[in-house]
Amino acid sequence: MNARTSRRALATTAAAAAAVLALSACSAGSSSGGSDTPSDAIVIGLTGEPVNLDFTTTSGAAIPQVVMNNVYEGLVTIDQEGELQPQLAESWEVSEDGTVYDFALHDEVTFSDGEDFTAADAVFSIERVQSDAWLNGTKSKMDVVASAEAVSDTELRVTLSRPSNAWLFDMGTYVGAMFSETGVDDLATTPIGTGPYTVESFVSGDRITLAGRDDYWGEEPDITDVTLRYFADAVASTNALRSGDIDMVYNMQAPDLMGQFESDDAFQVIEGTSNGEILLSMNNRVAPFDDVRVRQAVMYAIDRQAVIDAAWAGYGTEIGAMVPPTDPYYEDLTDMYPYDPEKARELLAEAGAEDLSITFDVPTRPYATAVSEIVVSQLAEVGIDASIQSSEFPAVWLDKVFTQADYQMSVILAVEARDVLATFNNPDYYIGYDNSKIADQVIAADSGTPEEYVSGMQEVVRTISEDAASDVLFLFPNLVVADADLDGIAANAVTESLILSGLTWSD
Amino acid sequence: MTTHLDAPDATGVPVPPPTTTARRKRARPGIQLIIGASLIGLVAIVALVSLVWTPYDPETTVAADRLQFPSAAHWFGTDRFGRDVLSAVMAGSQITLLVGFIAVGIAVVVGVPLGILAGMRQGRLGDLIMRGNDILLAFPGLLLAIVFGAVFGAGTVTAMVALGIGSIPAFARVARSGTLQVMKTDYVFAARAANRSEFRIALRHVLPNISGMIVVQCSVNFGIAVLAEAGLSFLGLGTMPPTPSWGRMLQESQQFLGSYDYLAIAPGLAIAVAVLGFNLLGDGLRDRFDPKMRSNR
Repeated sequence: MNARTSRRALATTAAAAAAVLALSACSAGSSSGGSDTPSDAIVIGLTGEPVNLDFTTTSGAAIPQVVMNNVYEGLVTIDQEGELQPQLAESWEVSEDGTVYDFALHDEVTFSDGEDFTAADAVFSIERVQSDAWLNGTKSKMDVVASAEAVSDTELRVTLSRPSNAWLFDMGTYVGAMFSETGVDDLATTPIGTGPYTVESFVSGDRITLAGRDDYWGEEPDITDVTLRYFADAVASTNALRSGDIDMVYNMQAPDLMGQFESDDAFQVIEGTSNGEILLSMNNRVAPFDDVRVRQAVMYAIDRQAVIDAAWAGYGTEIGAMVPPTDPYYEDLTDMYPYDPEKARELLAEAGAEDLSITFDVPTRPYATAVSEIVVSQLAEVGIDASIQSSEFPAVWLDKVFTQADYQMSVILAVEARDVLATFNNPDYYIGYDNSKIADQVIAADSGTPEEYVSGMQEVVRTISEDAASDVLFLFPNLVVADADLDGIAANAVTESLILSGLTWSD
Repeated sequence: MTTHLDAPDATGVPVPPPTTTARRKRARPGIQLIIGASLIGLVAIVALVSLVWTPYDPETTVAADRLQFPSAAHWFGTDRFGRDVLSAVMAGSQITLLVGFIAVGIAVVVGVPLGILAGMRQGRLGDLIMRGNDILLAFPGLLLAIVFGAVFGAGTVTAMVALGIGSIPAFARVARSGTLQVMKTDYVFAARAANRSEFRIALRHVLPNISGMIVVQCSVNFGIAVLAEAGLSFLGLGTMPPTPSWGRMLQESQQFLGSYDYLAIAPGLAIAVAVLGFNLLGDGLRDRFDPKMRSNR
């Protein structure tokens, strides 16, 4: 209309363009390092928020990450080296035939609601996993228990229907969490356990605060005021660390920023081990992945080292199957499906699946979006046209892909410890792998001697790999960046749990 | 940018600017028009070229070539997947223009007839249309696109349609206010006296006379759509990977700002050029078309 309006429009345009640039430039903050957090408080940055706090009904590793070992405890726990350690059970004895476990429980343990922890609570907790109240698929880990009885307040006897090499280890994960008989009414928001912390508040979409218990039975933690802040974006969490808003980023999801922190004395950078496998899941029940040749073609089409390098800045390890090297039955299967696009094309031709078009449901997690782009590019080279469909994580992905198995291909970080059987020895799982070949082998291995367990499980894992049930792209590193003054960081993610009680400030 | 949305006063007739300004503007060559058209021309040419040729395949990842600084082989460097940034920026212009065309197209096809109808049929029908328009106007286009993305699944098509629907009110308002002016002219009275049908009047007299305003609005909204698509893609709600999109390139460059800033600069500049181009073009066109509107009165 007139010159003034034009100038305004021009200014608006410039401002809009600048805003776009500024939006992306917000990570360019200077490093201040450190923060003025009081010595009994810590703020930890995480990505991937829990839907609620009830892992008995809701899937997703974000829940046990917060509550296991912190709010809930088990009879046993898994230490940072992946070894079994006593927790609520002082000691235990196993009968000669391997079916009867006698646990001696700690005395004077109380739940955060004031109730005493006794063998009756342990019986209740074990039976609850087997009941209909427990909906999470991991409940099958408790199937082997025939009975649990409270011999006295501190003596618990668990009888298994057959010997099991896996059961006691599983009791160290969240399946073995001990609940109070009177404290399971509101697990989603008010978890009640015997652990050193209680959940003080849960602000959905933002943060969870935990408070240390002064009536904890064990050694009380140094840091009693814990805030877990959830970031939608990995870069935002590292920015918060730089600006001093948070003290630690656990399971850091922006590996390309690691270098900057490594060269900065104000921070410490730890590359912890993990049990997390990046799993390129294929729905074995639906076309085209109901054909083993198509699945094998995908295995040959993917250059896993290239995926690690491009998507995760080289952090990560090729493992070839869903068994990390820290597991007793690990075997290097990385040579089974070398990168061989020619072979992939042959297999696709054999299956009559040239010019394949598939949908690739990608959860909105940093590792998933990064991995998906390079996977799509590699699949395109063998003639598979994968179109990416973004699935909001956790809610949409858990519902659509995980629960309804309404997908063809997806990618997810599977963080549960020793989860190869949970993933593949269950035809109703979202992978839909036909486990008829392995089901009996699994039971035989589990009830055998420790040596038979190892060899039997290796055979099971080989069978799963031969069937190309899904593609394990790489073992995920647990990258931790923290204030340099923070000690006692449990950087090895051996179970889902982020163990908080050892944290302390060095000055 | 918002002038057309806000201009109509209570009667819907824009306040005419002083004629002296118009004369002065008319005498000067439309420098904005030239710059705007040049920038848009640049984007359009790049888009056309990228249809048949880019230096590298913008979607092929080459792990060995990741994060290379700009060089003779890769003018704008390579991204974290080893893709050529120049190729991606070139190919990204296709999506940008496509989203702009479709979004503006939807808004014109729906908004302009509604606006003309509301202008010609004042009274209950006109009120109904314009109040519906106001309701739609209450939802920001981006919000609408996010809602659409949640309901129908995020993607380019959803973004285009949502942005198109979000732009309807702007066009309806412009068309209505223009129509109101035209309906008061002698030749419309003459056409009515000659018993021409309403449809014929709309087609023969109203539409040609408001087309200038519509074109200006198109240009402005094109710029808005480009920016909105970039914003949506930045948030992961627009164009899905691996199809190159400027907004997503910006988003992916975030963690590299401290070390590989060229990854953000290239798509950022591209967005700035496109948005600036469309806005300058809109301003330039406005200066050209406004005096004509006045001489028609």
